[in-house]
Amino acid sequence: MMTQANVVIIGGGISGASIAYHLAEAGVKDIVVLEKHYMTYGATGRCGAGVRQQWGTRMNCLLAKKSVAFFEKAQEILAYDGDIEFKQEGYLIVASDEAEAKTFAAHVALQNSLGIPARVCTKEEARAIVPHLNTDAIHSATFCPTDGHLNPFTMTDAFFKAAKRLGVHYYDHTAVTDIRRQNGQIEGVMTQHGFIKTNTVVNAAGGWAKDIGAMVGLDIPVYSRNHEILVTEPVEKMQGPMVISFSKNIYCQQTPHGAFIMGRGDKDAPKGLDMGSSWQFLEAMAKTVSDLLPPVGELRVIRQWGGLYNMSPDHQPIISASRDVPGFYIACGFSGHGFMLAPMTGLLIREMILGQTPSMPLEALSLERFEGQEIEELETSVV
Amino acid sequence: MKHVEVLIIGAGPAGLSAADVLLEAGAEVALIDRSDRPGGQLTKQTHMFFGSQEHYASKRGIEILHVLYDKIKDHPRLHMFSETTVAGLYPDRVVACVSGQRYFTIQADIIIVATGASEKSLPFENNDLPGVYAAGAVQTLMNVYGVKPGDKVLMVGSGNIGLIVAYQLMQAGVKVPVLVEAAKTISGYHVHASKIRRLGVDIRMRTSIKRALGTDHVEGAQIWQLDARWQGIAGTEETIEVDTICLAVGLSPLTELLQQLGAEVIYINELGGHVPRLNEKFETTVEGVYACGDVAGIEEASSAMIAGKIAGLEAALKQGYALEDAQARQAALHTSLKTLRSGPHGEKIRKGHARLGART
Repeated sequence: MMTQANVVIIGGGISGASIAYHLAEAGVKDIVVLEKHYMTYGATGRCGAGVRQQWGTRMNCLLAKKSVAFFEKAQEILAYDGDIEFKQEGYLIVASDEAEAKTFAAHVALQNSLGIPARVCTKEEARAIVPHLNTDAIHSATFCPTDGHLNPFTMTDAFFKAAKRLGVHYYDHTAVTDIRRQNGQIEGVMTQHGFIKTNTVVNAAGGWAKDIGAMVGLDIPVYSRNHEILVTEPVEKMQGPMVISFSKNIYCQQTPHGAFIMGRGDKDAPKGLDMGSSWQFLEAMAKTVSDLLPPVGELRVIRQWGGLYNMSPDHQPIISASRDVPGFYIACGFSGHGFMLAPMTGLLIREMILGQTPSMPLEALSLERFEGQEIEELETSVV
Repeated sequence: MKHVEVLIIGAGPAGLSAADVLLEAGAEVALIDRSDRPGGQLTKQTHMFFGSQEHYASKRGIEILHVLYDKIKDHPRLHMFSETTVAGLYPDRVVACVSGQRYFTIQADIIIVATGASEKSLPFENNDLPGVYAAGAVQTLMNVYGVKPGDKVLMVGSGNIGLIVAYQLMQAGVKVPVLVEAAKTISGYHVHASKIRRLGVDIRMRTSIKRALGTDHVEGAQIWQLDARWQGIAGTEETIEVDTICLAVGLSPLTELLQQLGAEVIYINELGGHVPRLNEKFETTVEGVYACGDVAGIEEASSAMIAGKIAGLEAALKQGYALEDAQARQAALHTSLKTLRSGPHGEKIRKGHARLGART
C-alpha cells in the first residue's frame, strides 16, 4: 500500500470515484481512494440510480443540469469499455392534488429559467408518456425528457477505470480508523492496513460521513437513515421514464434489462446505519405501485434491500472545504441524491483543492451555511 | 397477523424431524413448504439408505418420508402450509408467504430454517439448451411425476447423485452410455459406481463437457479431457450422441432467507458454499432463528434428520418446554451425527465443519 499521498479520498462510491477521476484528470499525482468494504458497497450500489433535473431549489437544479450534461458524454469522456446504460427517457413526476400541482408549476418555472426543458402535463398527456399510469390516482404531472437513469455499478466502474488509468490508487477492504493532525494540520490517515501520510483528505463516506468528520473533531450536521428498495422479474419494455411521486412516496423505473426497480422512504425509520429489509416496506411498496402503475403491481419481486440516505438539514448536499480543519474537504449530506450529482461533486471538489475558479457559487453548498441559521431554502422534492 | 410458536421453513427430512420433536414437546408448529407434497428430496429418493437401523438403513427415501410425515400429519397442533413459498424473512421473526395469488404474513416466537439446497450448474457453451437438466430435476421428473426425460443421457459428475440417477435412468429404460467426472477419482460410493459400470456405463475420469450440441434441443454433447489444472485439452474432443445432458455437479445451501434476515453466513467450500454460522444449539447469529439440514451444509438425508431433531429439541427448550431427558437425548443425537460423519466419506464434511468452527 502507498505510504504517502497528495490526496486521500475516503469512500469507494460514485462520489469518491468522480472526485478521484476529476483530480487525476487535472494532473494531480499520488491520489489514494480508500473503501471500507468494496466499490459501490454503500448507497451507490443500493440506489435507484435516477438522474433528474426537476428540482425545487436553484442549487440542485444547476448541479443536476451540469451533471446530466456530463452523463450524456460520460461513455466517451471516460473511454469506458463497458456500458453505463444511460436510459434518457425522462422523469414523470406526478402530482396527487392541486396544492402539489401548484408547487410543481413553480418548480417548472424555475427549471425553465435555468434552461431545463421540463413541462407541466395534464393527466392525459401523462398517460400518453406512461400508458399504464392510473390517471385516477393523480391530478397532473410534470415531465422532463432529458432526465433518466443509469447503471450505478458500471457508471462507478467507468469513473474508477478512467481514474486508475490516470494513476489513481484504489484500495478496498481498507477501513480508515483515524485521521491524524498536528497543530491543526492534517498529517495523515490511519487505516487497518497501515498509515498514509497526507495533508489533504476528502470525506466522501456517504452514510458514514459523520463518523469520518468526527475523526478531525468536526460535527457535520448530517444523519443517516435506511431507505428500502426492491427489484422485480424482468419483462418486455413497457415504461420509458422514471415515475415518481413525493406525496405517494414512490419512485419506479424499468431498467434496460427489463426489471423494475422501485423504492420509497419511511419518515419513521430510525436514524442510524441499519440497512435491513422490512415486510412493512414490501407491503407498502406493493400497494403504492399497484395503485399508481397497476400492471407493474402484477410482477414478481425478486429481491429487496436497503441503503443509507445521508440527510443534511436543508436536503441539499454539503460540498465544502472545512474552515476549521485546513486540508479537509467534505462531500456528503446528499439526502438521497449523491449518485445523480456525482459529476459536479467531483468537479467542485477538484476546483476547491486546486484553488481553481469554482464552476458555481459555493456558499450554498458550504458546511458553514448551517451555523446559527434558520434553513433558508429547503428542498422538498425528495422521496 | 397470524402468530405461531414455532415456524419451520421447509418440510424435508430436517424440517419434518424438527416438527416431530416440537409437537411431541407440546409446541404449536407451522410447517411451510413450497411443494405440493411434503418430504423435500425424500419424495424422489427411491433408493435404499445405508447405515444403521437408527438411520433408517435399507429403507427407501419415500418410505422414510411416510414414517416421518404420517406420525405428525394429523397432529392438532400442526399447521401445514403446502404450495406456499416463503418470500421474505425479517428480523422481527415475521415471514412473508406467497401461496398462489395469496400473500400473507406469519409471526413466530421461533423460526427454524430448513430450506435445503439448490443444484449447481456448469458453465459451458449451450448450457441453456432444452435437454440440459440438473440430476435432481431428472430424478423428480422420473420418480415423482413418472416422466422420462429423454432416451439417451450423458451424465456429468460421479457423486452419489450422479451415480444413483444414472442407475435409475437405466432402470427406466433410458440409455446412459457415458458418465464424465472432472476429478481423478469417483467421488460417490464405489458400490454405486461398480453397479453402473457392470451395466455398461463408460465412466471417464478427468473428463468434462465442453459444449452441448443442437439448435432447439440437445442433439449431442462434446466432451474433452482435462489437464492437471482442470483445463480442457485441445484435440481430445469427442462427440457423444445423446438427447439429454444431466448435470450432477453438487448442491448449494439455500441461505438467501438467512442472508436477508441478516444472519451471518460464511463461505465454506466443503459445505457447498455460504452456510450460516451456528452455535452448538444450531441457532444462527439471530436469536430465536435456527438452521438445520442442507442449508447448514450439504450432507445426506440421514444427517439432516438428526440435525432437525437437535434444532427441534433446542427450540422446544428455548420456548420453555420442560423435556425430562433433554440432555441425554441431545448427547445421543450429537453422537449419532458424529458417527454419520465418521469414515472416509465424512472427511469433507468434517473438514468443512472444522473450518467453519475455526472461523467462528
